[in-house]
Amino acid sequence: MIEALRRALERGPYSLRQEERDALLLPALDQLTRHHYERCAPYRRIIDGFSGGIRRSDSVSEVPYLPVSLFKTQTLRSVDPEAVRVTLTSSGTGNGSVSRVFLDTETSAAQQRALANSLMHVLGKQRLPMLVIDTDAVFKNPQLMSARGAGVLGLMRYGRAHAFSLTPDLEPDRAAVAAFLRAVDGKPFFAFGFTFMVWAHFYEPFKDAGFDLSRGTLIHSGGWKTMNERAVGNTEFKAALKRAFGLTRVCNFYGMVEQIGSIFLEGPDDLLHPPNFADVIIRDPVSWNPLPPGKEGVIQLLSLLPESYPGHSVLTADLGVVETVDADAEGWNGKGLRIIGRVPEAELRGCSDVIAVGER
Amino acid sequence: MTTLAWTPDPGPIDEHALLARTDAMTFDGWLPFDGRSVAMLGALSRTILADPRARNNPPYVALGYWLRPAALKRLVASFGPDQAGIFRVSRGVALHLPPTNVDTIFVYSWAVSVLAGNCNVVRLAQESDDDTRWLCGVIAKVVADHGQAGRHLFCTYAYGGDFEAALCAKMDLRMIWGGDAKVRAAGAVPIRPDGLSIGFPDRDSFAIIAAEAYAGAGDEERNRLAEGFFADVYWFDQMGCGSPRILFWVGDASNVSNDFYRRLLVVIDARQLRATMSVAIAKLGRGMDALASGDATQLRHWSNELDVVELSRPVRSDTTGQGGGFLGQVTLHSADEIVPYVSRKTQTIAHYGLRPNELRELAKAIATRGGYRLVPIGDALKFSPDWDGVRLVDHMTRVITIGGA
Repeated sequence: MIEALRRALERGPYSLRQEERDALLLPALDQLTRHHYERCAPYRRIIDGFSGGIRRSDSVSEVPYLPVSLFKTQTLRSVDPEAVRVTLTSSGTGNGSVSRVFLDTETSAAQQRALANSLMHVLGKQRLPMLVIDTDAVFKNPQLMSARGAGVLGLMRYGRAHAFSLTPDLEPDRAAVAAFLRAVDGKPFFAFGFTFMVWAHFYEPFKDAGFDLSRGTLIHSGGWKTMNERAVGNTEFKAALKRAFGLTRVCNFYGMVEQIGSIFLEGPDDLLHPPNFADVIIRDPVSWNPLPPGKEGVIQLLSLLPESYPGHSVLTADLGVVETVDADAEGWNGKGLRIIGRVPEAELRGCSDVIAVGER
Repeated sequence: MTTLAWTPDPGPIDEHALLARTDAMTFDGWLPFDGRSVAMLGALSRTILADPRARNNPPYVALGYWLRPAALKRLVASFGPDQAGIFRVSRGVALHLPPTNVDTIFVYSWAVSVLAGNCNVVRLAQESDDDTRWLCGVIAKVVADHGQAGRHLFCTYAYGGDFEAALCAKMDLRMIWGGDAKVRAAGAVPIRPDGLSIGFPDRDSFAIIAAEAYAGAGDEERNRLAEGFFADVYWFDQMGCGSPRILFWVGDASNVSNDFYRRLLVVIDARQLRATMSVAIAKLGRGMDALASGDATQLRHWSNELDVVELSRPVRSDTTGQGGGFLGQVTLHSADEIVPYVSRKTQTIAHYGLRPNELRELAKAIATRGGYRLVPIGDALKFSPDWDGVRLVDHMTRVITIGGA
């Protein structure tokens, strides 16, 4: 774990102001760029061929970035193959290719520690009983093991006495939820699920069930695509959960497998905040220059966690806007990010037809 | 998927009715270059060129010019009279399966077949943009106005079903455009046992510029070259079969290549071409892929519309097949060093500044590998009745030999 990361984790989570954050991140990100440059040959060739070699950055926005698609097309590893402890994969969206992220013991430990640090900020230091808004089949059945399964499994270590709200065939398990609530007996608990699962497989079937979740804290994440299609925004989502279950502690997060462990948590201002060891830059999609707060653009993510693979600075395919900087909402500082959605896909026309099943 | 026919507006049609109309075409072929065919295509040319919609769409303008009566006459004349004892006749009924996205291809494929004297069934994509729908409507109307609606059928139907099999079984000729996968899939459905099926597979094309000639060219000529290159690359988002993906410079280009790209950027700007965000990001990713894998040593992002990678070795075409203004660049000492890049997939090499004897040498050098067309820069997407080495008129007709005359 690099020194700057250690220092960032010692501070109150999500508390670092931008100036202090920049000062902490800049030399550490440069250090990571050099680290990967020396240990990952494909990364070195990219830096040499695109950035004209390695150089000191005068600001965080000068740190070179890789489009996340590179983790699908290349094997990007800054450790020996034998040192890789876990290879994370995520299909993301689009053409079916898979991102691969290589973690060694050290990066994996740093990532878990950072994630715990973030989650404790909303859940407290005690591990709480946990209601998983999903089925245990998503990680028990290797055939079904997916990003969703890995996500569920990854979050489960931060709770105890787990219950699952769905049967293996995704039927709402009313008895399991009722038993869980009886067992917690009015004490605080933790619930986790992907946003869409929470909506379609918990809220909708149980909204009239009379469950009292007022002592719970729900953490949820995942794409808003399907939610947008159903015209449910974050505000409606929260209002509905409050109305149906008395659930008021609802916390969204934003993160991606390429920067696993670095999660942007929803603060009291409903905006997503980077942890102390991370940052976000919004880029203009034409000039690719950084944009000031209030302007919409493409999201670049920076994090001090990735040491075993060159993922410390990535350009996502998401659009967003930084609404506030150092707003100090109940101690939450740094940038306040709002996600707008994915960069719209555009198909290039050409002489070669794309052959899909049933149409050619 | 609904089965539709343009009569002249698109509307649902019963599949039996469609097959019956195709049956009626069986013996309705005309002789090649019949005056009525030429007159109808000429009228189509006038209609297209007179419409403001086409004037804003350079590929449509090119199509309109290609169909002008004078141009068609030159084409007809180039065939000359039949040899003694050879009587050239139409083949019969032709099915055209154009690519979904390069919409003018279906018109060329159909028009050459019209000249050959065939009756035609053109299978259009179910979903198309406004311009394409307009073009289909215009053609169907001109055909109907000339009383030839019975000989030319524009329709759309589902692939892979009994109807496709029944329709194909009636065909004397089938033209499959749209790449390897489409040729394989569509080509698997049998046509008449004595029929001819021609496929146009995936292609890969290049451009080559002699640096010395460029250095010697004046402003006006350089700008013209940039205009031509723009058409070659950007008309179909660099996804046309003839669109160059690699630009080869012959000789020391260090002083001229940047000048060329800057002029190209001016044209891009003037035409208000804008890459979408996702294409821009995809190109950055593709450029970095080429660097990461060692296929390229340098990536220069001129703008979202133009990314240039300096290639370090011959690459598979998918390395440079991104489209949307993504160019590989290679410097050669002499034109024949292009040879390792040329494969069976190679179609067009658009050139500038090579002398006629150098072009002949180039053709000789690539002869056993691939490549079908050496054309001036600006003509890479220009349709030719010799396509991918297939002399379309020859293949779209048959001959009756006459002995003892």
